[in-house]
Amino acid sequence: MHIRLHGISKRFGQVQAVDRVDFEARPGTVTALLGENGAGKSTLMKLLFGLHRPDAGYIELDGQTQLVDSPRTAIRFGIGMVFQQFSLIGSLTVRENLALVLPQGAWWIGRGARRLAAIDRHLAAVLPEIDPNARVADLSVGQVQSVELAKVLLLRARCVILDEPSAVLSPTEAQQLWRSIRQLAERGLSVVLITHKLADVRACADRVSVMRAGRLVGDVPAGDLDEAAVVRLMVGHAPDKVRTPLPRDPAARVRLWVKAIRAGSLNELSLQVHAGEIVGVAGVSGSGQTELAQALGGVLPVQAGEVILDGERLRAPRYSSPTSAKLAYIPEQPLLNAVAPDLSLSVNLALKRVAGLSFVPDRRQLERHASALIARFDVRPPDPRALAGWLSGGNLQKLVAARELSESPAVVVACYPTMGLDITAAAQVYESLFGLAREGSAVLWISEDLDDLMTHAHRIAVMLDGRVVRVLDAAETTLAELGSWMTGSGVRPCAKSA
Amino acid sequence: MDDGLGSAALREIGLSAAAFIALSALFFGLIGREPIAMLGAIAEASVGSGYALGESVLRATPILLCALATLTPARVGQMSVGAEGQLYFGALTGTGVVLAFPQAPSVVLMPALLAAGAAGGALWALLPALLRVAARVNETISTLLLNYVAALLVTWLVYGPWKNPHSQGWPATIDFPDAARLPTLWDSRVHAGLLLALALAVLLHGLFTRTRWGLVLDILRSNPRAGQQAGLSLARQIVLTMLIGGALAGLAGIAETSAVQGRLQADLSNGAGLSGFLVAWLARGNVLRAIALALLVGALLAAGDGLQMSAGVPSSATLVVQGLLFVAVLGVGGWRARAMASRRTGAVDV
Repeated sequence: MHIRLHGISKRFGQVQAVDRVDFEARPGTVTALLGENGAGKSTLMKLLFGLHRPDAGYIELDGQTQLVDSPRTAIRFGIGMVFQQFSLIGSLTVRENLALVLPQGAWWIGRGARRLAAIDRHLAAVLPEIDPNARVADLSVGQVQSVELAKVLLLRARCVILDEPSAVLSPTEAQQLWRSIRQLAERGLSVVLITHKLADVRACADRVSVMRAGRLVGDVPAGDLDEAAVVRLMVGHAPDKVRTPLPRDPAARVRLWVKAIRAGSLNELSLQVHAGEIVGVAGVSGSGQTELAQALGGVLPVQAGEVILDGERLRAPRYSSPTSAKLAYIPEQPLLNAVAPDLSLSVNLALKRVAGLSFVPDRRQLERHASALIARFDVRPPDPRALAGWLSGGNLQKLVAARELSESPAVVVACYPTMGLDITAAAQVYESLFGLAREGSAVLWISEDLDDLMTHAHRIAVMLDGRVVRVLDAAETTLAELGSWMTGSGVRPCAKSA
Repeated sequence: MDDGLGSAALREIGLSAAAFIALSALFFGLIGREPIAMLGAIAEASVGSGYALGESVLRATPILLCALATLTPARVGQMSVGAEGQLYFGALTGTGVVLAFPQAPSVVLMPALLAAGAAGGALWALLPALLRVAARVNETISTLLLNYVAALLVTWLVYGPWKNPHSQGWPATIDFPDAARLPTLWDSRVHAGLLLALALAVLLHGLFTRTRWGLVLDILRSNPRAGQQAGLSLARQIVLTMLIGGALAGLAGIAETSAVQGRLQADLSNGAGLSGFLVAWLARGNVLRAIALALLVGALLAAGDGLQMSAGVPSSATLVVQGLLFVAVLGVGGWRARAMASRRTGAVDV
């Protein structure tokens, strides 16, 4: 389907979310809609999908001006949208979930109804690898997303909009996603891919439309993409440079010493991080990286071995120490693990110090302290009384970084600290994280972005099956070498960790 | 939790009152009574005279204490429905002290029986708290079931070992000696328990909203994981809040027994535990709102007793009216929460 948007505008209160945007998506092409968080790309597509009504402008579908006033209308026109928040029901099977959306599916349709055969045929065609009887709750994130996509296709969509589909996927899952997106385009569908990742653009887009602050600022073919120029368009200025790490001092003392710990799936894992050093942790997802972070953070009890911080015991079996002021811990998924969503930013920023507050805490003083941190880490909204639950994912990450990184910790453990962040926000978090290494902190940083690891880390510890199988010098290693250690194909028996 | 009582809250109260009046007028119309006259009669029977006012406040006292008993564990996310059982057990242990030392002077007996009542309620809450912390037993179920155990224990005692031998079949303990009777106020049946309840409510409000402890509870309720990450102990706070809650309900029980009935008897709670739970629920964790709602519910229930006698309306009609009150408050509260949520997503969703 050939889609053209003409002069679309939309305002929410004080915010001009979308400002006179012209946009085009052609059949058989993948159009990447690129922009930072809050650039208006999701809003623009929600306008196309009928979730919002534009204040000005009109929508042209296959050459005819149409009024899309609700998602129902959009679906009738053949527009489908896959959202960041999944809309499947976990306790139902894949087949039942699809049955729910069939417009002609009557409410009394039962589990054994014969018309489910049509759904089975559809699933066999687009998702042969997924069992229609599997419960959605048992599927991986990547699989859930492909079921979402299958659901949209079942409604005979001729245009598919995907809202930041790769944000929650592991690298392998992302590659599968890119393949299926290409297949959609080859079948003649027009695909719109909302993203802030250049990797998505590189992997599967034909055209790139760049949005910034509600306006369309660029529209170029993806083939001859000048990535630096696109980033400038997205961000509005040259991207913030994260300073290159200082050279590693081989004589620096050990600040974090992980001694043969067992915890969860961790199996006699050992690792050392020196003062001023950034050690990246790489691995295929599920190799035990998050458990390593949780064990160091004190969430996951250590069953054997011990962890030494600056010569003092931090973790050991049956040893529960209070949180150490010398340890900064940035867990994955901050909303779940690191913030109290119903409470104000000022309380969240004081979370680690609560036990030390006076009996009647001085809220003004907390707010002053919070305001300073909020300004330094550019958290939005910049209001210490705002509730943490109102914040977007990127601002939540910045909030946690502000709390954990502000008091010159000896050791930093950061688990996917930039997941879901756009370029500007990620650069800010990286700068504060790695800036600590310049001041002598030891930084242990878990990431799935191998490019970033090779750029910013001194050494990269590769994890496999709950142990560190190899520690590589980031300056000398290659993607191929990393990959072979991650998958285990480069492992010699009895590989010894550092 | 929303701890303010600002203009938005006042507007909500006004809307709830309007919805409540409309609903109950409709109800009276349906049962063939003149709505305006009936509402007037309710007002008359609840606050129309000094006596009526006294009866209303009397009913509100244990309801307020039981609301606080529910609300305190709720501040750390625990849904206790055990106020009823804690009330019974507090009455039981407090009475035990009176039966053991019937001759003790008032200065000794009065503090001792109040302390024993509070301790009994706390003890009754300790078991579900420990089960929750040690074995992750759902506190709602365990407190609910213990309600029956406590009420039946009291029934057994007053029919059996503690029965007054001179009561001619009436199942109750001996009458409390004067030294064990909580003083009444203003020449009415209202007793010192009211002042105790109000003082405790104000104290708790201050603790919840102003102190570090209140902040700790807020954090652990909002995200137990993040709280424990920050070195706070969820288990300790669960046990502590459940104990405090139990003590408050236990006080309600012994105060009723000592001041109103003057002896331990089987049906002493009069539904205060359940009404208290509903009040705490409607107040959404806010102590000040709980005070207002407890007084309102107490007035309605007292009016029910009055109406039954004066207007010939079955007292169950006031139970319906009480239900309508809950529907009105919950409905308006839910509707406003939704309106606020949608306004917020509209603003942030860019």
